[in-house]
This record gives sequence, structure tokens and C-alpha cells, in this order.
Amino acid sequence: MYVIIVYDAVPKRGLKLLKYLRQHLNWVQNSVFEGELTESEFERIKHGIKEIVNEKQDSVIYYVFDSQNYHERGIIGIERNEIDTFI
Amino acid sequence: MKQNYYIFSSGKLIRKENTLYFEPGESCEPQEIQTSEESIEVEDQTISESDNDNSEPKRLPRKPIPVEDIDSIYCFGELRFNTKFLNYLAQKEIILHLFNYYGYYTSSFYPREPYVSGKLLIEQVKNYLDPEKRINIAQKFILGAAENIKKNLQYYNVREKDLSYFINTIEEQITKISNSKDVQELMGIEGNIRSNYYIAWNLIINKEINFEKREKHPPTNPVNALISFGNSLVYTTVLSEIYKTQLNPLISFLHEPGERRFSLSLDVAEIFKPLLSDRIIFSLLNKNQINEKHFSSELNKCYLTEEGRKIFLKEFDDKLKTTIKHRQLKKSVSYRHLIRLECYKIIKHLLGEKEYKPFIIWW
Repeated sequence: MYVIIVYDAVPKRGLKLLKYLRQHLNWVQNSVFEGELTESEFERIKHGIKEIVNEKQDSVIYYVFDSQNYHERGIIGIERNEIDTFI
Repeated sequence: MKQNYYIFSSGKLIRKENTLYFEPGESCEPQEIQTSEESIEVEDQTISESDNDNSEPKRLPRKPIPVEDIDSIYCFGELRFNTKFLNYLAQKEIILHLFNYYGYYTSSFYPREPYVSGKLLIEQVKNYLDPEKRINIAQKFILGAAENIKKNLQYYNVREKDLSYFINTIEEQITKISNSKDVQELMGIEGNIRSNYYIAWNLIINKEINFEKREKHPPTNPVNALISFGNSLVYTTVLSEIYKTQLNPLISFLHEPGERRFSLSLDVAEIFKPLLSDRIIFSLLNKNQINEKHFSSELNKCYLTEEGRKIFLKEFDDKLKTTIKHRQLKKSVSYRHLIRLECYKIIKHLLGEKEYKPFIIWW
């Protein structure tokens, strides 16, 4: 499945989320991550996020797509980080 | 969904914040000693200048690579890394494959085996030591390779190319496989099949390729260069998959163990070369995606340029991700996963649970 995760958190936990999510997904923009995951990986990530955030103050939103084929991705302006396995 | 990462740029791979970062930069070591010696002699001005340089170093953009997303890393560029980085790779069970300037496979960083089984190792050795059992498995590998080669030829046979002569000769050779007595004889049959197959390439590829025979170390013409590169990719992919199973990559049946590299990967790769690398070569050449300008030849050897390698790898990566509906498992599996399933089948055979049947393209 293809997942997009966006978050809004107080700076201290925002940085923690950034570091945590960088291990699993591609960073695309400040507080936006996306990537292809298996269901178990996604469950693990959700669990990890719950460990970090304070559910009363922070907010993390995720969008799940069955496959990358079912959504269109466009960019206006600069691409901050190109997602590519060829570096 | 773990993926392969291919690194062509030069720079540094580092471990930072529990993930991997690629930092682009010069491939050579910075020459620190020279400048420091000079700056002592020269007056204050230059020191302050160099101080300025130090305080504001050019910050090149670092690219984070999600560590949980990495299956294996392929290095084609000039990279630097340290033990901290390698330790982290080992912890995350990521294999690092290294290729030299000419795109020739040189080595792998193969972290400590996470899945070991003494029982299976003993069975593997037993099967190797017993000549009858060994030839039985070796025959399966060649049978799989030959059948897949035949499928490739049949595929192009219906496309206005008459390859029936080659198909017939290969079929003849296939009948000999099961009667072979030792590995040498089997290798001879394999050689015959391959030489026939390679002659057929002149018909399959819609170009003047003048492909007569297979040459390695080093390849001398473009097609040989493509085969060498393709085979080394199949080989590394198989190695990465064997790593995820309990099989020991050193003990092989068709190739002599320990003779070259991880020989079990060479065995299993035989079956998958026609499916993975050969088909890519046909389509790249026939669609003219790769042409003369992607090869550079010097001193009688021919190799792919960086541009050419990238095109090939892109196709290869897509190929590995291609999925098919598996008949027995009744679900979609990728080509990469087919290789793993092959390893599992071999394990079952070695443990005497189920007779090994090589993978043969069924579509």
C-alpha cells in the first residue's frame, strides 16, 4: 500500500517524528512523508508514532492508497526531495 | 516493500539519526595535512581566511534514505563509509554490493548470517558429498536453465523469426541432461545449449551484432558486455535472496564450491538468467534503448558507460518488481520473490521433504 503521513506537533516532538519517519518513509516536504509499505510495516509505524506523540496536543494524519497507480502526484514549484532509488 | 538502492554518484554514506544519509561530495580524501603546514608559516590573514572556510563549510544537501526500505545497496560510484555505517548495515541485515569502475562485480559486504541452521548445513554438505545426490540437483539447475532458454526462443519464434532449428537442437540436448553421469559431462551439455542459444541471438536481435561467442574477462563486444553486466546483477540478486534463507551460499552443486565467489548463487542464477537478464538485453537492443554510444571500448575491451548501466538497471529493477500470478500459491508474486521461493524449494529437497523441481517459465 502507498501511504502519505503528515503531522503537526510541538517542535520537540516534531523533530522526534521527523527522525523516526525518516527511517521508514521518504521525506518529501517539511512534516510530509510518503512511501510504499506493507501492512505490517504500517502497523509498526503507527505504533511507533503513538509512542512519540502526545495525543492531546499533536496531530498526525495518514492517507492510505491500495496502490500507487490510483493517485496522481503533481508538484507546483520546487521538488524538495526527489523520491528515487537511483542516487 | 523493501527496495534496492543504486548509487552512482560519488560521496559519503553515513549513519545519522538511526537512518542512512547520502552526502554528495568528492570521492577523494580531503588533503588536510598540506594546508595546515603551510598556514603556520603564512601570516594571520590567510589563517583567518581558512578559518572563515571552516566556519562556513559548503553544506551539501544530504539525502536521507529510509533504512527500513532498503533491501540491498548497489555501489557503482566512488563512495566512502566508516565502520559505524557498516555496523548499522549489519544490524539491519542489508547487503552492500560493490562494482568496480568497469561495472564488474567485485564483492559484497555480507553481514553476519541472521538465519543459520546447522541441520540444513549438514544436509547441504551430505548432498554435495554423495555424487549421485549432487548430480541429481545439478541436473535440475541445468534443466531449469535450458527450459527457460527454450521458452525465450519460443517467444521470439512466433514473432516472424524462424528459430525452430535452435529449439530442436536444444530439445535434443535437454533429453541428454538426465543421462549425464558427472558434473563435467553436464557442464559440456550446458555449454552446447548456450552456444546454440547465443548463435540464435543474431536472429532475435534486429541489429548487426556479430555475436559469435561468449567472452568474459574482459568482454570484447557490446553484447558480451551486456551479458556480463546482466549476469552479475542476477548473481547479486540471488545472493541477496539466499541471505534471507538458511542456505549456505558457499556449498553448491553444479559449480565447484568455493571455486569462485558464493557459488550457490551461481547455481541458482543459471535458472533465472534467461528470464531476467537475457530478456532485458533483447528488449533494450530491439527497442534501441541502448546503442553504440552507451559503450566505450578501449584496449580491446568493451564495457557499458554509466548512462548505459543506468538504463539497464532501471529495466532490471522494474523486472524484479514485475508480478505474476503464482499457480500453486494462488497469489501474486514478484520475480524477486520467485528467487526466494526457489531457495525454499531447494531447502525442502535437501531436508528430504519434497523433490526439487526447478522453476520453469509457465506463461
